[in-house]
Amino acid sequence: MNPVFGHRGMPGRRDAAERRVMAIAVVVTAVFVIIVGQLWYLQVLEGGRFLDASDKNRIRIRPIAAPRGILFDRHGTPLVDNRPAFTLSLIPRELPRESASRDAVLGRVASLLRIPYQELQDAVARVQLDSFLPVRVRRGLTLGDVAKVEEWKLELPGVIAEVEPQRVYPTSRFAAHLLGYVREANDDQLRQGRYRRGEMVGQSGLERLLDDYLRGQDGGERIEVDAMGRPVRVIQQSEPHAGAQVITTVDRRIQEATERAMEGNAGAAVVMDPRNGDLLAMVSTPAFALDRFTETIDRNAWLRVVQDPRFPLMNRAVQGQYAPASIFKILVAAAGLQEGSITPADSTHCTGEFRLGNATFRDWKEGGHGTVDLKRAIMHSCNIYFYQAGLKVGVATLLRYASAFGFGASTGIELQGEKFGLVPRPARRGWPLGETVNLSIGQGPVLVTPTQVARFMAAVANGGVLWRPRIVQRIERPDGGLLYSDAGQVNGHVELSPIVWEFLRRSLWAAVNDGGTGAGARIPGLDIAGKTGTAQIIGKSKAALGQDHAWFAAFAPVKDPEVVVVVLAERGGKGGEVAAPIARQILNAIFFEKVAAIEIGG
Amino acid sequence: MLRIDRRLLQNVDWALLAAACALVLISVMTLATLSVGRAGGVVALRQAVWFGVGLLALVAVASLDYRRFVRAAPALYLLGLGALALVWVVGRSVSGARRWIVLGPLSVQPSELFKVCFVLMAVWVITSRGAQPMGRTTLAMTLPIAAVPFVLIIKQPDLGTALLLFPVLMVLLVGAGLRLRVLGGAVATGLAALPLAWLVLKDYQRERILVFLDPVRDPLGSAYNVIQAKIAIGSGQFLGKGVAGATQSQLAFLPERHTDFIFAVFAETWGFVGCLVLLTCYLLLLLRGFDIAGSAREPVGRLVALGMTALLAVQVVINVGMVTGLLPVVGIPLPLMSYGGSSMLASLVAIGLLLSVRMRQFQ
Repeated sequence: MNPVFGHRGMPGRRDAAERRVMAIAVVVTAVFVIIVGQLWYLQVLEGGRFLDASDKNRIRIRPIAAPRGILFDRHGTPLVDNRPAFTLSLIPRELPRESASRDAVLGRVASLLRIPYQELQDAVARVQLDSFLPVRVRRGLTLGDVAKVEEWKLELPGVIAEVEPQRVYPTSRFAAHLLGYVREANDDQLRQGRYRRGEMVGQSGLERLLDDYLRGQDGGERIEVDAMGRPVRVIQQSEPHAGAQVITTVDRRIQEATERAMEGNAGAAVVMDPRNGDLLAMVSTPAFALDRFTETIDRNAWLRVVQDPRFPLMNRAVQGQYAPASIFKILVAAAGLQEGSITPADSTHCTGEFRLGNATFRDWKEGGHGTVDLKRAIMHSCNIYFYQAGLKVGVATLLRYASAFGFGASTGIELQGEKFGLVPRPARRGWPLGETVNLSIGQGPVLVTPTQVARFMAAVANGGVLWRPRIVQRIERPDGGLLYSDAGQVNGHVELSPIVWEFLRRSLWAAVNDGGTGAGARIPGLDIAGKTGTAQIIGKSKAALGQDHAWFAAFAPVKDPEVVVVVLAERGGKGGEVAAPIARQILNAIFFEKVAAIEIGG
Repeated sequence: MLRIDRRLLQNVDWALLAAACALVLISVMTLATLSVGRAGGVVALRQAVWFGVGLLALVAVASLDYRRFVRAAPALYLLGLGALALVWVVGRSVSGARRWIVLGPLSVQPSELFKVCFVLMAVWVITSRGAQPMGRTTLAMTLPIAAVPFVLIIKQPDLGTALLLFPVLMVLLVGAGLRLRVLGGAVATGLAALPLAWLVLKDYQRERILVFLDPVRDPLGSAYNVIQAKIAIGSGQFLGKGVAGATQSQLAFLPERHTDFIFAVFAETWGFVGCLVLLTCYLLLLLRGFDIAGSAREPVGRLVALGMTALLAVQVVINVGMVTGLLPVVGIPLPLMSYGGSSMLASLVAIGLLLSVRMRQFQ
């Protein structure tokens, strides 16, 4: 019995009309079977895909960018800070799946915000299309741009204006080389697989060195929205973790003063604490504008910086290699005194010329300095005296001392790309004496970096201790937990008789305060010891005159030295005329209060 | 007033009634879930009230002899046409369509109730003396009955309801014994005239047909409904997402979810299994209807039953076909499920007529 057709009166006898009705019923039933088949296809076979699509409909991802860790100076004053900025991001998973409508969305973005369409295409083409992670396309959106994105959000699925903390600097070039710039991960870094596209990565200086610490962990929210895009509830939330805080050894006040003092010169200045190797300031000029790199920089602007013949990206404090010039005389004196080759009493009559075989070596001063002993030779930077002294000490000993004072090797500073300078191998044979003569006044085959000179000068000030220059004191989590600390490290020691150190300090004091070449650095009331240097450019022609590199290396106060200041001005001229006044300005700023007190006190 | 014969009561088709009640229950429940946490619980309640009103109408219709309705068909039909024309004069416009007449607190959709009048009128013509024997004459006599309201309804515009008239008429003619060859010729002629119809269609109606042929044509525009409905149905998977999890419906991604797309809401919530239950209810309802038609003693009863069943069947098939993406989107409510008083009333009156035929088949 058919339960549905149970009412049929006379089974077996169907008239034509009934058969027609039956046929229609069969057709309708067949259509129902087709509908059930379609439901089976939609719900069972393709159900997973549609479930995905319904999740994609309702779930929006709102990334919350973690603020990058802050770099502080030694007193807790920030060297960089963050400010909220708007970034245009694409969330690949929320973009339309079909390429035609995806292109339409990108086209809309391009015309709304005047971003090249190709740029958006490229950004999307390089990521997985089901990725939840935002692709940051353009930074530094204006409020107007943000308003446009919000206004059109229903027509722009997968496009968001995201708040992302961005670096802000005291001034655009402040401590540029030391801090380093932050920029989106480049192709090489992406290939390493450690970074995501569009992620901000420290590219130089401390930002690069400490990137792993400074980079926080981005958080995000998954929000359920209704068809109008209104948030209904938060489904899942992960808090962003801010990057770690770095307490450096830098003194922002001194750094600023040093930058002011270096203005207008190409070169480098290093301020170091000789008691522990702390870098108080490190300046390289010309500097670059840090903030230019943070935002989207166009190709031409980039090339202008990279191809600038003055190499603004180079950190001359650790990467510039120069002849030490007369600064090296301190080392010659130290070696000679310690080895007994010369004594302070040895004197020479300087006529301004020195003959060795057929060659004539000149003093920087026409007519010479007259009769000079070692102290006066240091004070007035007499070349003739040191030519002779150098020959007495011998090249092998000079080079040994140069190495002992850390030249020709890494200072151990943590900044990347440090150059080691050059100290030639002491060769027994085939070493022309003329080279020794040149070496005695820091010319010839020896090259040093300003940081090496600072460390050397610190050793003179502190009695021979070679500190590894320290930049980072400690790194702390935002909640205060200590992640890293550096107590400072001695990585060399030069043993000289105390009397030798004392003699050097006195001579260097006299060079500044007793009418020596360093008089330009003199500050009444402050005992500064210092040495000038003028590195000659090889092939001294008339045109190149006044194109020498000017050095000045100083420490103060002479008793219990607290700071070492090293200044190098490229093609600045004479050390005493150019570099010494710069050092004076820096020292004046450092000891401002002390100097003022003495001046007021009379 | 009404003399209720004991014999009549014995022949009430309880299975048919039970299927209809089950469907309305499902409808009210679905409407209620849509209004969880919103101020729209009224919708479910109204649907229940309309069901009550419709049930009274059903009882009234069933207790009367269906032949009286057929005899009154020309008058009802003209009344219906008048109402359709009235829509033009005093009709209320909702989202660009003029389909409703406002009567105090109610708004009535004449085209819904007209469908029943249309079937009765068609039966009256087909069974009239002039229409015998079944042939081209019959066809020529019945086509205007559909054509006149077709023009009126399509101008509302309500493509779905207008298109509904022809398949129902076809079923009636086939049931009445019109030879398929004659009918086939008429259908072929109709199809040949289709390009002409294209000219009559509104832009949005053309767009809907184009979108049906190519759904990604405009994902944010016309195809949005179809895509969202497919996502809703598909994401229900085998067992459904439950009321709270039915995000397509609850978060309003699905359009027209109280009315034309209510099937998708149900499918998302209860999944394939739920759909099987729902479709089984409909199939039971329809097969009972066909059985009433098949076992009717005389042609008028048979055709009334067949016509009413066809009316319901075509609506169910077109609605579910459209929501599941098998057919283009034409606005047709799902009988007994979609929210709407006129539609509910019309469906229950149609069922009332079915019962009336059944109850009198042994007289």
